[in-house]
Amino acid sequence: MGGKQILGDDPFATSEVAEPEAPPPMPPPPVTPPAVIDAQPQREQERERQAPETYSHEAKAPASEYGPSIDRPSPSGHRHGLVEEVKHIEKSVRDRLLPSRAEERTEERNKLPLEFVWQRWRKLAMRDRSDVVDEFGRDPNVAARVDPLLEFLYKTYFRVETRGLGHIPDEGRALIVANHSGTLPYDGAMIMHAVKQEHRARRAVRPLVEDFVFHFPYLGTLMNRIGGVRACPENAERLLVQDQLVAVFPEGIKGIGKLYRERYQLQRFGRGGFVKLALKCDAPIIPTAVVGAEEIHPMVGKVTWLAKSFGIPYVPVTPTFPFLGPIGLVPLPTKWFIAFGEPLYFNAEYGADGANDRILVNKLAEQVRVRIQEMIDGLLKTRKSILFG
Amino acid sequence: MPADRKRVPKKKALLQRPPYDPEQRVVAVTGAYSFVGAELIKRLERDRRYYKVLAIDIRKPTFAMSKTQFHKIDLTMPTADADLAAVWKREGVDTVVHAAFLSTPTHANAWAHELESIGTMHVLNACAETQVRKLVVWSQTVVYGAHPLNPNFLVEEHELRGGASRSRFVRDKVEVERQVRRFAHEHADTIVTTLRTAAALGPRIHNFATRFFTRPVAPTLMGYDPLMQLVHERDVIDAFNLAVDNDFAGEFNIVGDGVLPYSTILAMMGKVPLPLPHFLARPLSRALWATQVFDSPPNFLDFLRFLCVADGGKARKVMGFAPVYDIKATIHDFLGVATPETAENGGRLQHAAGGV
Repeated sequence: MGGKQILGDDPFATSEVAEPEAPPPMPPPPVTPPAVIDAQPQREQERERQAPETYSHEAKAPASEYGPSIDRPSPSGHRHGLVEEVKHIEKSVRDRLLPSRAEERTEERNKLPLEFVWQRWRKLAMRDRSDVVDEFGRDPNVAARVDPLLEFLYKTYFRVETRGLGHIPDEGRALIVANHSGTLPYDGAMIMHAVKQEHRARRAVRPLVEDFVFHFPYLGTLMNRIGGVRACPENAERLLVQDQLVAVFPEGIKGIGKLYRERYQLQRFGRGGFVKLALKCDAPIIPTAVVGAEEIHPMVGKVTWLAKSFGIPYVPVTPTFPFLGPIGLVPLPTKWFIAFGEPLYFNAEYGADGANDRILVNKLAEQVRVRIQEMIDGLLKTRKSILFG
Repeated sequence: MPADRKRVPKKKALLQRPPYDPEQRVVAVTGAYSFVGAELIKRLERDRRYYKVLAIDIRKPTFAMSKTQFHKIDLTMPTADADLAAVWKREGVDTVVHAAFLSTPTHANAWAHELESIGTMHVLNACAETQVRKLVVWSQTVVYGAHPLNPNFLVEEHELRGGASRSRFVRDKVEVERQVRRFAHEHADTIVTTLRTAAALGPRIHNFATRFFTRPVAPTLMGYDPLMQLVHERDVIDAFNLAVDNDFAGEFNIVGDGVLPYSTILAMMGKVPLPLPHFLARPLSRALWATQVFDSPPNFLDFLRFLCVADGGKARKVMGFAPVYDIKATIHDFLGVATPETAENGGRLQHAAGGV
């Protein structure tokens, strides 16, 4: 687009280039509409018809692989000038006298002997990643590769039952606020997958990932590539302003690190940052309860003294984990329920200024916490077995 | 320099601003031999609104100059500020572009500090003395520092965490920013623009990023793969040109569109990643830095671990700066590979914003 514009602006270019190029564009219009299959014979006929106009045909050909050819007149047509002619002769003489300088003419980079290997390596390295990621780092190719695994976990392993998907709007911003549990953040992935697979608009949920997970080697990177975003007010606000669906777990690391005996007792909801966000960005809060995730890694204790050397807050101790080694990382196949509750529109009631009222923010956060606790208790009452629902 | 000093009138000139004529501007560029300085001067040479350009460096730029005067002034010298002020006052400079900064970390710590931090002090002193109308300073987004608490997009008002880093390279740049901010606060009638550029790549520029990405093997930290941001060299020059042409006060992030994970950048460039465990990477890089084998200070490993991506929204909104090359096109142009989008233009994106 830019190229044509500049060409058009240049008075020299238009007057001299337009004329030799004018004839060839005329015939194609009647030729191009028919099917592509019989374009070949017609093009040949056309070439025969236009036999005398050799230059115009040359000009239409794509640029040579080895840079512009020297025996073709330059597009500006200045070569007809005396100065250009002299320069040309000068150049050819110089080239003949100093043959080593002749290769400077080629603009194309010289092909290295290892070029082939390099190209193959590039292709290999790029095979399961995309060269375009969204601004928060979600890679569509990686997400597509992880999708079957999530589908297996969702359908077969945890047999997730989802309720109240109608409460999630088809478009526009919303804040899914859920309880957090399970030592490893499977619940975020399952909420994401539930909305993507079962919601009628198949929306993408962006879960906010707390620092512990986000900066955890490999795990954090994987979460980021499939759509996770580091939990901080700036990121959440940016996502909401873009009318995205954001999932937030206000319990944070305290939620993941609950001991088995504390299961399904919601911890303090941070400092109410999610309420501030909802008020500021005018986003409805969708309280969400996840049941079943608490038992996948029943944590009986934490070891903190060893963890410091790994740069993590604690090493979880489950009946299986440190003792059985990597097998201990396999989660228990519990039956899951995810319930989305009715949206809460705080902004309509308190306005965006409410975000500055600390006491109000804490009160509303507590209100949401109680609401989710009620939903969890309701689900737990109807559940008969941890493994079979 | 002695010759210059002789021509300066002995009596102190009246402190008054030279008459500013928007069609006859005089621009001084420090660091004229550097890529940013030289390319900017080439642009100004072509622009008729600029009457004269003063190129200040210790080495003479190598391109043909018609309205550019070269002045050899060493910013690390103790009286550099007086020399600068004398030249600027004599020529009636209205705009100063301060681009005399290092683009690659150096082991010569003391010299680097003299050039960047003290050199900036000299430039600011001379600006205050001659009361220039506008000052454009080159900074880099590394001043934000790679920190685990960084949001995905750092805005200009964000804290400059690079100051806490142990890298002289970054710390000096943060110190420069502080000095410039103080200057802007004290001299409200001078328009101070700070352009923080991301890592710049391109076919001609030479800096830390181009050297890093020219090697066949690149280190990675095991398990970490942060998003990275690049900017094309021509977009950097565009931004400087815009800031010199028009008046925008404040700090601006000059970044290209889009981000890519570090591993994807390496894969697109065909580099072989060398994953290093943490306990090995830090001592190794410290040893390589100490023995001067490798040119990246050990704490640059943070940039391979945590985010340091800046938000270009303010430059887009206020300056009207729109990068022509996104990250993918920048990488392709750096490699010299023709892509479907650039093939018809001989491997280069057509640059629409030439000049104004």
